[in-house]
Amino acid sequence: MMVVLVVAVVYSVIGVWLFARGAVRLIVQVRKGSPSPGRLLPVGRRIGATITEILSHRRFTTRPVAKVAHWCVMVSFVLLVPTLAAAYAQIVDAHAELPIVGGWAPWQWAVELFSWAGLAGIIALIIIRLRFSEHDPEPAAAQDWRSRFYGSTRWQAWFVEAVIAAVILCVLAMTACRNALLRQDPATAAAGSWVHFPTTYWLGSMVMSQPGHVLELSVGWFAFAKIMISMTWMGVVGAGITMSVAWHRFLSILNVYARRELDGTPALGAAAPMLVDGKPFDIRQIDDLAADATFGVNTITDFGWKGLLDFASCSECGRCQDVCPAWNTGKPLSPKLFTLALRDHAAATLGPAASKTPATAVSPHSDDLLTALARAGAAGSDDSANRGGQLIGPVINPEVLWACTTCGACTVQCPVDIEHVDHILDLRRGQVMTSAQFPEEFGGMFSNLEQRANPWGQPARKRLDWTRGLDFTVPVVGRDVADLSQVDYLFYVGCAGAFDERAGKTTRAVAELLHTAGVTFAILGKAESCCGDPARRAGNEATYQELAVANIEQLHQLGADKILVTCPHCLNTLSNEYAQLGAHFNLVHHTQLLNRLVREHRLELAPPDPGEAAPITYHDPCYLGRHNGEYEAPRELLGAAVVPGGADLLEMAHSGPTSMCCGGGGGRMWTEEKIGTRINTTRMGEATATGATTLATGCPYCSIMLGDAASSDEAAPEVRDVALMVLDSVHRAQNKHLAAASAATPSTDTD
Amino acid sequence: MRIIVAVKYVPDTAEEIGFDADHRLVRDADSGLLSELDEYAVEQALRLRDQLPDSTVTAVAIGPDDATAALRKALQMGADDATLIVDDQVAGSDVFATAGLLAAAVQSFSDAGALVCGMASTDAGTSAVPVLVAARLGWAGLTHASTISVAGQEITIGRTDETGTRTATAGLPVVLSVTDQTDEPRYPSFKDVLAAKRKKIAELDVDDLDVDPATVGAAAARVQVGAIARNPDRVAGRTLTDTDGSTAGELVAFLAETVH
Ligand code: SF4
Ligand code: SF4
Repeated sequence: MMVVLVVAVVYSVIGVWLFARGAVRLIVQVRKGSPSPGRLLPVGRRIGATITEILSHRRFTTRPVAKVAHWCVMVSFVLLVPTLAAAYAQIVDAHAELPIVGGWAPWQWAVELFSWAGLAGIIALIIIRLRFSEHDPEPAAAQDWRSRFYGSTRWQAWFVEAVIAAVILCVLAMTACRNALLRQDPATAAAGSWVHFPTTYWLGSMVMSQPGHVLELSVGWFAFAKIMISMTWMGVVGAGITMSVAWHRFLSILNVYARRELDGTPALGAAAPMLVDGKPFDIRQIDDLAADATFGVNTITDFGWKGLLDFASCSECGRCQDVCPAWNTGKPLSPKLFTLALRDHAAATLGPAASKTPATAVSPHSDDLLTALARAGAAGSDDSANRGGQLIGPVINPEVLWACTTCGACTVQCPVDIEHVDHILDLRRGQVMTSAQFPEEFGGMFSNLEQRANPWGQPARKRLDWTRGLDFTVPVVGRDVADLSQVDYLFYVGCAGAFDERAGKTTRAVAELLHTAGVTFAILGKAESCCGDPARRAGNEATYQELAVANIEQLHQLGADKILVTCPHCLNTLSNEYAQLGAHFNLVHHTQLLNRLVREHRLELAPPDPGEAAPITYHDPCYLGRHNGEYEAPRELLGAAVVPGGADLLEMAHSGPTSMCCGGGGGRMWTEEKIGTRINTTRMGEATATGATTLATGCPYCSIMLGDAASSDEAAPEVRDVALMVLDSVHRAQNKHLAAASAATPSTDTD
Repeated sequence: MRIIVAVKYVPDTAEEIGFDADHRLVRDADSGLLSELDEYAVEQALRLRDQLPDSTVTAVAIGPDDATAALRKALQMGADDATLIVDDQVAGSDVFATAGLLAAAVQSFSDAGALVCGMASTDAGTSAVPVLVAARLGWAGLTHASTISVAGQEITIGRTDETGTRTATAGLPVVLSVTDQTDEPRYPSFKDVLAAKRKKIAELDVDDLDVDPATVGAAAARVQVGAIARNPDRVAGRTLTDTDGSTAGELVAFLAETVH
């Protein structure tokens, strides 16, 4: 067996060398990224957060079976690595043990337990992959490539999974043989008792009849097999640094360590600031900018190193692809394919391969990925290794970039903390700010924002139109009240709330409810301007900041603190994004405030009469739910306003953190949806399927987009903001009081 | 060769528009902008520059200091330099005086080879200035172009209206006016915006242009505005419903009343 050992050692040296070379290459490549400030400190908190996140698997927010299976496989991988070291000795000496822990019962128990758990886990994962995998690489029907694994490189996944299964089987086989060997010799029989082999004793019994030398030889060969399989894995993975399905085992630890949010929440809410030379861009200091400054991400090294680490860490699990509203309606964007395209481009242009690959070389993608990109219409125009070249066009199809609604479903799903939305925004910034390339419709939207401070290009005086016909005056700051210290809230109406007819109904309802509850408020009237969200989400950071800076100045002058909004986009921008510019306001969404008023009994509700109660469903706006974590207040409010009358609050197939976007975010409200089916009608289909007759929501964009979808479909539920349903409920309560009052004091009117 | 593009600073038509006691448009409203139609002229001037060797684009505006905003926009879009004709004496100038000033401005550049204008201003909307300037300069005038093509030193335009498309060709120098059917004006990247900040805007007055002050300003205007009235608000129409002709009399009475 000495020869066998020599073979194993030589093979291992090659495997480890290849692996180490791959690791060094990855480090070198990631370091070529731009600065990602603040992603390494504070070390202590980050280490703590990393351990918690990995051990708890808390970013696995859906699919509990896969979560448990993955956790078992992960732990078994860590535990079985030391047993690999023992395997070298066991080739020549079947009785060899790991020093110190080797014969220690608790260690043996752990290894046994996690061998079985790992085996069960990997079988479960293989079954899951089989169930959802493509059998036909070029499926004819669109729905066939809706699998989350579509576009993931299949041989790599099978290889990695087969290696795990094979190694664990080797471990179990060796354990059985070694158990039998121990028990055959009375001197060591005690060490082979079930105390040391609680779950493999029975396996040992099965091979007890074999002669000792056969068992010893078997241990040696199984150990050899385990080493050869493991080292083959090391070599293959080391040679292919784009094999992220394997590399994620190591890189995701770093990626989780360098995550954007220290509190464990996904990289949503505020968009990451646009960095110029590693510093956040500030429109107030543009005179300091270098003449040759570029903005956003244009080439691969414009991404921060955390971005490059993101791309290299993708496990190809496809959870993001599975929930992407763009992908699910036939657009070429899949957050997974987007990530993988950038991963391969980075490896081809930044890695050592770059100098050897001729510039005209074919794409570095695997066949599966290439096929998926081509079928989805997502392929770049020239995917050769265009060193230092533009990403949009050659690598990422512009249709991919602009299809994103920034809904954040992908980022919530990603178990390895990839920051898709920030990367998409950075690329959009490059397109708009450096190259002035964007969908034609955005040109008008940008000009409207710059000239008229709202995306619709409406004149400012129309901002007060919604107040007409109310039976109380809506105070305007500067006209009716001197400053905001005299009222409870500044009601920041928002552009949709002021100019859009449907959203205007919500604005009126909220004003009426505040008036009823005795909450004082004032509006900015003509002086209000857009918060800047449409510009920012479309990549126009300059226009966003122009608006933001002017708004902040005005809000500070007026002494604004508590601000009420009906638009989750305003909420996100004013509270999370203005903070990046140094301004802090206390924002409240109308569903939150109304819910509080109901709880405090300042608004009295009456549910519909049992006969009139009709089932409703609630659509989570992305910027209220995923981006700002508010799922409960609107549901509780509906629960109080409507449900006691017997109406059911039904949930759609996707709701809460996996809710599906209405299609209006990310500037998509202003662009036509030319490819695939429409997101809003698809979402409406989910609402219709619940059997609800009303769809409640809490965002003007959602109301507009879904309202449009409902208007062309008779079966679709009616779209109404939660505020309108609360107002109805308040009116019912008021009418009941009136009726009761008139019954108590009989009318003297004889007519 | 220098391509000159004339741009006008106009009030935002979406806002309430004000007039002063002399019936002149209030021009210092803070919501002024580069006339949207002139953005098409800038776009075409920039495209001409790409096709005519060794050419540059100069944006010219006549107006108060605020009008630099229109020139700044033209610079952001890519014009090489800009000149503002600013002089209190020109306030209230009519189309003839404006054309005289523009012609003088063009002549002040010895290398001027083309003048590009929008098809009309979004405030006064006379469409008269381009042809008047062409007449003064003695240049060919190719107006209301919806397409422009260049072959050597010749410019050919297509002019499309409801009857069809006419083409016209003239050699340089020319005065062009372009419609909003030409290519969409480009949106400047932020890099362009920054670059435009570094460009200076030259200023010229009536003296610099050698224009007789007596020919410009309100006093010289050949057109006097007598009064300005707002269009009456639209009133809802009246619907007559009938199946037996019984409302015919009412209809005839209505028509008779309206015609008179
Ligand atoms: S943010 Fe939404 S639309 Fe954009 S890639 Fe992610 S899931 Fe798709
Ligand atoms: S980006 Fe994240 S969720 Fe998407 S495939 Fe990669 S690891 Fe999975």
